[in-house]
Amino acid sequence: MNQGLKAKGLWGIYGFILPLFLFIFGFILFPVVGTFWTSLFRDVAFLPKRFLGLANYIRLLKDPNFWRSARFTLLFTFGSVALEVALGTIFALLLNEKLPLRGWLRAAVLIPWAIPIAISARVWELGYNYNYGLANYLFLKLGICSGPINWLGSGTGAFLSLLLADIWKTTPFVTIILLAGLQAIPEELYQQAKVDGTNFYQRFIKITLPLLRPVLLVAILFRTIDALRIFDLVYVLTHGGPGGMTTSLSLYGYKFFLSSDFGYGSAVSVACFLIAFSLSILYLRVGKFGRN
Amino acid sequence: MKKILFALLMASLLLVTCTRREGKLTFMVGGAPSEVEFWEKLTESFKEETGIPVDLIRQPTDTDQRRQGLVIPLKSKQKDPDLFLMDVVWIGQFAASKWLQPLDGYIRREGFLLEPFFGRVLESADRYNGKLIALPVYVDGGLLYYRRDLLQRFGYRAPPRSWPELVRCAVKIQTTLRRENPNFWGFGWQGAQYEGLVCNFLEFAASNGGGFTTQEGKLCLNLPENIEALEFIVDLIHRYKISPPNTYTEMKEEEVRSLFQSGNALFERNWPYAWSLHQSGGSAVKGKVGIAPLPGFAGKPGASALGGWHIGISRYSDAPAQAWEFVKFVTSYKVQKELVVGLGWNPGRVDIYDDQEVRGKIPHLQALKGVFQTTVSRPNLPYYPQISEVIQRWVNRALAGKIGAKEALDKAQKEAEKVVRAYE
Repeated sequence: MNQGLKAKGLWGIYGFILPLFLFIFGFILFPVVGTFWTSLFRDVAFLPKRFLGLANYIRLLKDPNFWRSARFTLLFTFGSVALEVALGTIFALLLNEKLPLRGWLRAAVLIPWAIPIAISARVWELGYNYNYGLANYLFLKLGICSGPINWLGSGTGAFLSLLLADIWKTTPFVTIILLAGLQAIPEELYQQAKVDGTNFYQRFIKITLPLLRPVLLVAILFRTIDALRIFDLVYVLTHGGPGGMTTSLSLYGYKFFLSSDFGYGSAVSVACFLIAFSLSILYLRVGKFGRN
Repeated sequence: MKKILFALLMASLLLVTCTRREGKLTFMVGGAPSEVEFWEKLTESFKEETGIPVDLIRQPTDTDQRRQGLVIPLKSKQKDPDLFLMDVVWIGQFAASKWLQPLDGYIRREGFLLEPFFGRVLESADRYNGKLIALPVYVDGGLLYYRRDLLQRFGYRAPPRSWPELVRCAVKIQTTLRRENPNFWGFGWQGAQYEGLVCNFLEFAASNGGGFTTQEGKLCLNLPENIEALEFIVDLIHRYKISPPNTYTEMKEEEVRSLFQSGNALFERNWPYAWSLHQSGGSAVKGKVGIAPLPGFAGKPGASALGGWHIGISRYSDAPAQAWEFVKFVTSYKVQKELVVGLGWNPGRVDIYDDQEVRGKIPHLQALKGVFQTTVSRPNLPYYPQISEVIQRWVNRALAGKIGAKEALDKAQKEAEKVVRAYE
């Protein structure tokens, strides 16, 4: 093995890493740097292109609409990730038990995740519909309310409706990742703990949670980054309404691309990237990822 | 050896896809399958007539995506597409970006007649800084659809001519009909936060003597007439309760159409496309629908927002003379007539509306002619999409009852001025 490495020299080793590097440069670093570069210009289709330095970012900091969408996006992210992780943990614990039809249940849990967001958003749109939606049908049939409810009609209502649709859609993802983590925990630890006379709660806190931590962190990280760039769901369900109260950062940036202001739109995208990046660093620090 | 052959093959493939035949046109167009099919047939007959081949680049139906599909090649100065269709509200931006070729030269040289087109449309949409840069292919405008059978049953001889009249009529009929149908509504219109809301609000405002711009083209969103109009449409939902609560959350063209078409509404504001669908087989209102111009406020004429698609030639086209031939072909009497007979679209030429054969086939077209002659336009500004976004957001917020009409429009005006400052 060592002989072979020496014979082929350094080129042999780097040759194996090269494709990965090319991939990272071409598909990750290049677009990020390119977007940042564009954000330094006044790049508007109908105006002459001009270098602006950080002026787009100063405009961003003074833009109340940007802050409102940042606030909405962060609230949405924390709300959805917290609930998805809590529910995902419960489902994963249940599915890890020896239930009848366990294989079927595990497969069934994945269904919402397998549906493209744009399509599941349309399904929820039908569910929330004022005139013929399932939610109003059920509520009226059960006598919970006297008339139909306009679910997306208030800022809070629209926020909660989006949250619910997102939780339905992505809890399965958290469940599956955590389930894999649970299965990696040796059964002997639990048996030993049972011999020591611990209850379920103690075993969960002392064994399951610490050993699940790395997997949990990955799930939270993935979900946070995903939720921060929420677009499709908002685009289909509320289009940012009512009155712009559910405009996510991606939707906000998109509107500038749509009106051919590529410079400012890029600045919004970079801000979005920075938020996701710093949150990821924070998670990794707090979660002490990679350290034993 | 095999590898070299394969590489050669790939290289030649690349070469084939890269070379362009001289004088070949590319035309970018999207829409429903039936529309694209229509354009396909049209390019075939254009080739037969002139010998100029036209490649069709198909685009999706969604308007935003169609726009995006055009901006990318134009921004990077591509030779293709030579020609494309534009939504009327893009023209300002495309023209200001200098992506369109002025047509005045051809018009002067060939004595091309502009009289057959809707003059108002040409002036408000196709002319930018004095230059003609596009021609209307088909036009759209807001209309009032009403249930003829219900108006008759309640003793009304004609559809309402004014908004207060419409409210009185809708309240009366809705109150009675609710006893048999709890889902019945007086008046459906487009109030969700999207471009359609801007068209609807413009119509209400203009029919009260208001509008979005002054004579000099300055933005004036918070005119007293506009505030009054906004108060009125808030009242339609919250006070008179003749428009459903989801007007400001879910009501776009198709939602409004299905509300009316299922027999659950008395009046509907929609574009002309809804007509043939209301008359189709599965419709609950087939044969019971009438069309009228939109009402106005007391003593003032109604207004209809101008929509539709226009054809333009790319500045980067390498075959502008051939492209102009195609523009002439598409806007010719013959093709425009095919457009209305084949697809039911409303042509951009006025003379088609008086064609005997067309009038026999599509009787309601005569009523539309008057509507299109008096349409109002959304501001033809390069940064219109952002102005539109501001209007959508604040008007929609007022409709949601979160803010008063005056405050909403004052804030919209302030924000719109900020947009103007950022781009001028």
